[in-house]
Amino acid sequence: MSVGKLFGKGIVSDNPVFRLLLGLCPVLATSTSVFNAIGMGVSVIFVLLCSNILVSSIRHFIPQKIRIPIYICIIATFVTIVDMVLAGFMPELHKSLGMFIKLIVVNCIILGRAEAFASRNNPFHAIIDALGMGIGFTLAMIAVATFREILGNGTWFGMPVLGTSFEPVLLMILSPGAFFTIGLITGFLNWLDHRKRIPHAVLNG
Amino acid sequence: MKEIVKFAVVLCLVMMIAAVALSYVHSLARPRILAQQQKDLMAGLIAVLPGSELGVITSHPSGYYTGYASKDSSDLIGHAFPVVSRGYSSDIRTLVGLDTAGVILSVKILFQQETPGLGTRIEETRRGESEPWFQNQFRGKSIEEIRLDKDGGPIQGITGATITSKAVTDGVRIGLRRFQESVNAAIQNISE
Repeated sequence: MSVGKLFGKGIVSDNPVFRLLLGLCPVLATSTSVFNAIGMGVSVIFVLLCSNILVSSIRHFIPQKIRIPIYICIIATFVTIVDMVLAGFMPELHKSLGMFIKLIVVNCIILGRAEAFASRNNPFHAIIDALGMGIGFTLAMIAVATFREILGNGTWFGMPVLGTSFEPVLLMILSPGAFFTIGLITGFLNWLDHRKRIPHAVLNG
Repeated sequence: MKEIVKFAVVLCLVMMIAAVALSYVHSLARPRILAQQQKDLMAGLIAVLPGSELGVITSHPSGYYTGYASKDSSDLIGHAFPVVSRGYSSDIRTLVGLDTAGVILSVKILFQQETPGLGTRIEETRRGESEPWFQNQFRGKSIEEIRLDKDGGPIQGITGATITSKAVTDGVRIGLRRFQESVNAAIQNISE
């Protein structure tokens, strides 16, 4: 698979949120505003990159049967290190990202990529995969957050967009809003995909 | 059997490497994290005791602080005390500043990790305003008035974040009562 294709896979055809439906827990929790979505996205890209590189470089030394606990240990260690380093050395950044970093441990995209990709490929491809998946996750978060923030708060990235007469739909900021948005976007993408595929199948059949 | 031993050894090794890495980073970051917390505390104290940036702030063994407007501890501004309350997903640390008459000057959230977009709005500053609106509501309120609107008081809670709003409001009220009691006890001790 070419590098470009590998990179694009995480963004479109294998998008972690809308295609693989992985890591939905942090998506639900932090897609309430575009600012939070970007904060979570950046944190995920960083941890995913570190864990993919490490898992890929030690893949020949890990016994198959105990690989999962080892991956979890690696991921939890990275997350804790990032949390401590940010708190100690970049306190301003930690104030805005601190609450997302702890949520990354429960983000199954990281474990999913370690298991499905990094453990079977070389570090270079693992880096490309981490960047593609991480950016795909971030873009999906921004997409969900755009709907939720505009409808639920009347703002986008903190800027008012719907005027003062708009009554915010609180439900969109609460968890149900996240389920509605993710469900509708996923459905829409599946519908597009389906429409594209059917005439194709007819032609070839 | 042999395999199990091998797995145990490998897992043990991995965990040991992780533990060493963590304790190393911890030893580097810990002093800086503590220094940062101290800096945040001082910045918070100056914020809740306006005027003290030119003077001094002293801390008392019983856990409260006193701010003066000049370096020689003559012009008393007031007292401040910290409050820790259990929010929805974190322990919320708040500082409450009182003037010399014991009226609330200012309330400031020092630390919170509540739900982004909901509970975190206790620190939100509305567009066109210079101070966070939720914390500002406490200014000048008497102890009976420090109650959330849902509990029949005048403090307006945050929609969708009742637990967070209640934690801060109740924390400030309980902290204020405890502070008044300790001060009254101290005054009685002196007069007796």
